[in-house]
Amino acid sequence: MATISTHLRNFKEPTREQLTQLFFALPPDVPAGEHARGAGEQEKAKAGEQVERMEINAVLSLGVQGIEDSYAGKLHLLPPYLAFASLDRKSVRFTIPLCTIRRVERLNARAGIYALSLSLWHGMKIVVQLTSLRPTADLFCSLLRDALKAELQRGQMKVVKGFVKTCYSEVLVAESDEKDGAKPPEAPASEQESMYLGGLGLKFKFPGDPKKLREASKTKLWTTYLKMHGRNLTLLRYPQCTRLVQVGLPNRLRGEMWETLSGSLYLRFAYPGRYERILEENAGRTSTSTEEIEKDLHRSLPEYSAYQSEQGIGSLRRVLQAYSFKNPETGYCQAMNILAAAILIYMSEEQAFWLLEVICDRLLPGYYSPSMHGTLLDQRVFESLVQRCLPIIHDHFQQVDVQLSVASLPWFLSLFINSMPMVFAFRIIDCFFCMGPKVLFQVGLAILKINGEQLLQIQDDGGFLNLMRDYFTRLGESAHPNSTDPRARAITRFQELLLVSFREFAVITDDTILSERRKYRSEIVHSIETFSKRSSVRNLKSLGRFTKEQAGFIYDALFKAVCVEPPPAVSLPPPSLLTTKDGQEERPETRIGLRTFRVFLSEIATWARDEKIVSNGFQQRVDREVADHEMIDRLFFFWDTSIRGTLSFQDLVSGLDGVMFNDLMENIEWFFNLHDKNKDGYLTKDEVLTLSESLLFIFRFEVGDAYLGAVSRFMSNAFEYGDALLPRPEGANPEDPPPHIESNQPYMNLATFRMVVLADEILESFFETDFSSTFRLEPVPLMDLPSSNNGILGGLWQNIATDDNRKLLYKVSDEIGRTIGKHQVYHRPAIGKYTALEEPKARESLIMPTMRRSASKTSLTATDSSASLSSATLATSAPSTLSVEKQASTDVSSVEYSPMPTMFQAAAQAAAYMERTPFAIDDAKDIEDSEEEDLDVEDDGVMDEVDAFLEAHDSGLTEAEREIAKALINAEPVNG
Amino acid sequence: MTDAASGAAERSVQVKLVLLGEAAVGKSSVVLRFVSDEFQANKEPTIGAAFLTQKCRLEDRVLRYEIWDTAGQERFHSLAPMYYRNAQAAVVVYDVTKATSLEKAKTWVKELQRQANPNIVIALVGNKVDLVQPSQPSSDSVAVDAEDEADDATATPGENAGSTSGEAESLRQVPREEAEAYAQEAGLLFFETSAKTGEGIVEVFTEIAKKIPIDQILASTRGNAGRGGAAGGRAGAGQEGGVNLQENTNKARDACSC
Ligand SMILES: Nc1nc2c(ncn2[C@@H]2O[C@H](COP(=O)(O)OP(=O)(O)OP(=O)(O)O)[C@@H](O)[C@H]2O)c(=O)[nH]1
Ligand SMILES: [Mg+2]
Repeated sequence: MATISTHLRNFKEPTREQLTQLFFALPPDVPAGEHARGAGEQEKAKAGEQVERMEINAVLSLGVQGIEDSYAGKLHLLPPYLAFASLDRKSVRFTIPLCTIRRVERLNARAGIYALSLSLWHGMKIVVQLTSLRPTADLFCSLLRDALKAELQRGQMKVVKGFVKTCYSEVLVAESDEKDGAKPPEAPASEQESMYLGGLGLKFKFPGDPKKLREASKTKLWTTYLKMHGRNLTLLRYPQCTRLVQVGLPNRLRGEMWETLSGSLYLRFAYPGRYERILEENAGRTSTSTEEIEKDLHRSLPEYSAYQSEQGIGSLRRVLQAYSFKNPETGYCQAMNILAAAILIYMSEEQAFWLLEVICDRLLPGYYSPSMHGTLLDQRVFESLVQRCLPIIHDHFQQVDVQLSVASLPWFLSLFINSMPMVFAFRIIDCFFCMGPKVLFQVGLAILKINGEQLLQIQDDGGFLNLMRDYFTRLGESAHPNSTDPRARAITRFQELLLVSFREFAVITDDTILSERRKYRSEIVHSIETFSKRSSVRNLKSLGRFTKEQAGFIYDALFKAVCVEPPPAVSLPPPSLLTTKDGQEERPETRIGLRTFRVFLSEIATWARDEKIVSNGFQQRVDREVADHEMIDRLFFFWDTSIRGTLSFQDLVSGLDGVMFNDLMENIEWFFNLHDKNKDGYLTKDEVLTLSESLLFIFRFEVGDAYLGAVSRFMSNAFEYGDALLPRPEGANPEDPPPHIESNQPYMNLATFRMVVLADEILESFFETDFSSTFRLEPVPLMDLPSSNNGILGGLWQNIATDDNRKLLYKVSDEIGRTIGKHQVYHRPAIGKYTALEEPKARESLIMPTMRRSASKTSLTATDSSASLSSATLATSAPSTLSVEKQASTDVSSVEYSPMPTMFQAAAQAAAYMERTPFAIDDAKDIEDSEEEDLDVEDDGVMDEVDAFLEAHDSGLTEAEREIAKALINAEPVNG
Repeated sequence: MTDAASGAAERSVQVKLVLLGEAAVGKSSVVLRFVSDEFQANKEPTIGAAFLTQKCRLEDRVLRYEIWDTAGQERFHSLAPMYYRNAQAAVVVYDVTKATSLEKAKTWVKELQRQANPNIVIALVGNKVDLVQPSQPSSDSVAVDAEDEADDATATPGENAGSTSGEAESLRQVPREEAEAYAQEAGLLFFETSAKTGEGIVEVFTEIAKKIPIDQILASTRGNAGRGGAAGGRAGAGQEGGVNLQENTNKARDACSC
């Protein structure tokens, strides 16, 4: 069974705008420009609501003196969000829904300074100084005003209050305020507690020893941070935030921080109730995915007590099912069960559902898809990073033939959860949500680096895996057990791992990953496609008389056709009707319709394409189009033996097998059957006519009148013989006119047909050899014939990468060719046997010579039909029609052709070249770490660990600028 | 290369073995039973592949199985070549209570026969026969509690595993004869097993061991310093000269006496 998926081909690099959206973790289909664009009238109608996006240079200061530095960066208005990133794109950033902004004031500041003060829902104030030119700043402000108004109108402002109640951070801050006596409690904390969403851990305990995890002091640190810097929807991420994440999130806060840091919070906010609705709408529905999910429910973190209970299993089932219903293409992939089970410990079903969406869609794109291309791609990227960063290990692996991904694939696929003890995996996951997918690569590299010496000793895959397993079980031990320094002794191997990851591999940035992925994508796509081709060919029920290579070629033609003319998606009945077990297969077999079939056939049968050889003085090329004729449609239904209205790969192979190996008699019979619609063994008169038309169609571009003559003789003979051979009533006079037969009544049987065909030499030889050889299992060459390389445009051809450019260039050169009188077009014949206006003489009739009315008067000899042809050179411009055509048709097989993959590669490379990475970051600064900042907290060592992760954070401001920013915090709003 | 190596009858031969088959047919459970004689009712699905080793004594030879237990879900299929390359043996597992799993097994066999090492020894294994055996409640044979029974029901959805003895035989979807005939035709070893009770497991690996051309492997690994036995030797030599053989046989934890 062949399942052909071309979506990997259609991959488009994200635009800059999309990258921004990804960076700020915005929900993908929230009213971005994306939808409206291109839809002419709709756009106008929507223009009123459509709020524009804009970015502007800005300096961000926290509205409280002395807590945080000011940072220069870019402020983005991405309605309905406002986002900021510092210049280095990592020190400081935020994404806040506009509806959390309660007040915007222009600040009364020194001349030439344009600053806004934003008051947020949580009472926090931030000051942004717009440092772009005045008109730009004015524009930004007015757009911001419009966007805020729109949010107000949507009623979003009111939604916030209810939403934040689901967040544990609110409870933390409220409790702390209560304790401080800062605010009179609105409601007792205990009552609020019941509102917030939490995971199974609340009931079934969180993994790990809370004391050892230093939960209390971590929680305290976070409470302080969240009070100052906003929380959930309004969280501002300063360097301290990342540091606190790196020492491990406290259990109760973990789920919420995951969704805030990953941005899945915005999805949950944007689509309230969606999760429940998906479950409702699909209640009772089963599919391959739901079956596979069932199998794995009891196989997901089975050692955790919640998953030995119906409550845990139920949650897991609902989250996985909801995801598979929402994303039927991805459905369910093993490893997702482990992820879902893990995150459900810390968050509610709805939260987990959206987080899973963000993981599978944005953070690990394509990892869990049916082809798992994302997984394969990132494994390739990882390997290349190992080669670059750890060349000695890489070389050793090459030498002893060890494959990196035997160990690393599960690391990436299940975020280390089933590779190392869960408490450690969760800490890597904390960082992953905070810092992005590069974390997996950094940790992976660090693991290899730390084990470098032993890795150089291993000799095979097994040794590698054993070493890794060993290392992971000992992560909790001291990294320096023999050190005299107690502080050093206290550092665990896991801490060491994170240190190495984020210090030594800080060079690995998001952009590194993006550009590496770009580099290897086409390689991976190619190997996936080769693999599915191989298995499709292998899984054919019957190869017929084809070799595997030939079947492979048929597959290629099919693949190309599916690319050009995608078959309509298999439409599923509405969920309510889908209750049977065998609802849908995971990857339904690809079946093509008529339109795709035409393209397919044009790849194989010469008569199924219209080829024009164009020469315009600069080049000669073949313009190729898919032919459209009833004969092709007829063939489609002829091959559709199971009468499904579509053809599978097997149908095509069997169909071709039925025609490509035929001898004379078999071909005649095949052709007869093709036109015998009701398969009663007789052609009607109508069918004889259609058959003649089919012949004319095949012969349409042949040179000379020979075939035309043959077909007309065929028709007259057919009706003559046909009439003569009709059964007569007994005793009838043979001289009487034949009985009348309706044009749709059985008229001619195979024997008669055969006779008629054999009566004509041209038709005989057509059925003997020519017809079979119009089917060619060889790649159709590129559109260009080798160019003469002279003339002004000569060298240009090689440099044209895209189809569009190519077409344009063709048009231009044709235009020029026409003006200088060199533009010529010839049709390439499907058979190309006759090279001159010759016509072979009709054969003496084999039967009933008296019936032959007229033989052709001209008696010319047929030319040699062998394929060997004289070698005229193309360089000279065509002296005559015929030599050009000859040359063209012989060259076809020898021209250096470039099938799709290479073309695709070229295009991808071109695209990669044109798209420069939009944000260049100076990494050099991050590598050196200065340990100057400090915080005073309890002396339980948490901060020691925090210190270990200190990195320099560049605010991007000069001393003077910093002063200005500071002064703004106390500035008064402008009156009016 | 060295005479000592070829002469030593006690020398262990590394045999790379790969397990393939549809998801949840019990590949990991079969390996677990073989390697540590255990059974876990809820085994996590294998992600990518797992790697285990087990030693076997066959007459005067010691075989060291290097077992690659792969993931069963269809979409992991494209990863499989990474694991079955260079494998000398393959165990293709299906679930006797699930007809489709035999179909999947057949495509694996086909793929192995065309794509893998040409001399690969393939065994077809129908697992979970305990579910189709009449009477003798399985709780007698192994330490199984009530909860275990419940779990089995979910392990093979669609069938009610907690059935009475009368119904038990009807759970079977793949008749032994049918699978056996296919195995014969395709030139495979054939077994029915239960990872749960342990039935038939050791035989699988013993019969494979008998069929593996051990001398050939020895000869080839002696000649070129590629994979297999010679590799282990090199690793040992890194530390302690020639104790490698000794070291190998002393790893009692790994040893089994089948
Ligand atoms: N009754 C019974 N159950 C079994 C047997 N072998 C495995 N199982 C159960 O079947 C389920 C799947 O077993 P696994 O060994 O994980 O299956 P697998 O083939 O490795 O699955 P993947 O790793 O997903 O490909 C588990 O719940 C096992 O407890 C058996 O012999 N009898
Ligand atoms: Mg498994």
